[in-house]
Amino acid sequence: METDQLRSRIVYIVMSVLFIVTVVFNDFIGIAGIHPDILLIMLFFLAMNEKPLIAIIMAFVFGFLQDIFLPGTLQYWGLSPLFKTLIVFGLIKLLPFWYRLKGFLFYLSIFGAMLSYSILYDLLYYSGYVKPLVILYRYAIPETLYTFAFLLIVSVIFPLKNRSNK
Amino acid sequence: MLSKLYDFVIRKHLEILTVVFVGISLLLLSQTENHVILSMQTRWQDVTSFMKKPIAEQQRKKKVIEENRQLRMDIFRLNRELAHQQSLSTENERLREMLGFRDTSRYELLPALITYKGFKDGSSIIMLDKGKENKVQANDVIVDKDGLVGRILSSGKRTSIASMIIEPDVRVSVRINPSRVYGILKWHHGDTFVIEDIPTTIEIKPGWTVTTSGLSEIYPRDIPVGYITQVNSSENGFTYLIEGNYYVSFRKLQEVFIVSHDGN
Repeated sequence: METDQLRSRIVYIVMSVLFIVTVVFNDFIGIAGIHPDILLIMLFFLAMNEKPLIAIIMAFVFGFLQDIFLPGTLQYWGLSPLFKTLIVFGLIKLLPFWYRLKGFLFYLSIFGAMLSYSILYDLLYYSGYVKPLVILYRYAIPETLYTFAFLLIVSVIFPLKNRSNK
Repeated sequence: MLSKLYDFVIRKHLEILTVVFVGISLLLLSQTENHVILSMQTRWQDVTSFMKKPIAEQQRKKKVIEENRQLRMDIFRLNRELAHQQSLSTENERLREMLGFRDTSRYELLPALITYKGFKDGSSIIMLDKGKENKVQANDVIVDKDGLVGRILSSGKRTSIASMIIEPDVRVSVRINPSRVYGILKWHHGDTFVIEDIPTTIEIKPGWTVTTSGLSEIYPRDIPVGYITQVNSSENGFTYLIEGNYYVSFRKLQEVFIVSHDGN
């Protein structure tokens, strides 16, 4: 149990560092205007490893912090906490189903969840400026791929699924 | 009633919390501009700016290097275009001068382009883009705006081969002006010539001009050839060894005129 707690702490320390790096250097890690959502990865870890109440609170807090610290979201501030709260709520509700999934299907479902989040977020964020189809292939899919790539890298070191706390 | 409510809250705390958070988020969304948040964002940018600066500088450096490379390429391309423009301008000027010369010349002149400069049978020859179609014949005289160039050796249908007067074997009958002394001019080296066998009893001075004499069967008279640079006595002491420069710069020749046979 202690080992699991230690592991979780290390995961969150690494994530926090990643988050700070993202917030500070967000402008520099972008590829063609696409940025990974490190907070979303952290929320996935939280939803799967922590108590649902903590995960939901953290989703809202992280979303709120994202809107404050990442420039460019002022016009829609409140958007990140809204969708982050909803996605984590959905994740928590679907956890029994997710735990049954293995390997490729598990990561595919993660990707699907991330894509859903990106589509919903970007559709609202870019609505009125960019056509919906363009939002999909220009922002939502690339952002999801970029974030998912980060998640895969992190999950190589710290596997995402951990049932021991549940 | 309260216990039921308490049980409901405990049982559905996740859903209730989610609804509350969603409500707060929507409330935030309804406020398009908030000065407090804006102020926080500005402060945050101030705090992180010292960390961002080195990376921003690095990116700027990278961009400047790329821009510099692009600019150097542009400079090279522009220099090439400029050289081309200058070449065209020079050509235009040269052609204008030639055109002016042609219009003021008392000979019938046919402009021709030198298409080749080289050697044939040990002689320095040039190839011209005019031939029998333009009534060009062997022994037609070639001049440019500055003076005598040579003569046509043979003419084809559309091209001609000509020799220039800067050859060891070529002799031109000339007259030295203003003394009106006749002599035989031969090539010395480069763009220089010598005239020998002029008696020392006649006054010859550097700077005097040399033109064709008209005594030759090939070259009509009064075509400028060159000017005298040095007048020395020969070894026998009875004649001069006169040196001079051609008017024509043979190395730079690109276009010439063929003096029409009828115009002779």
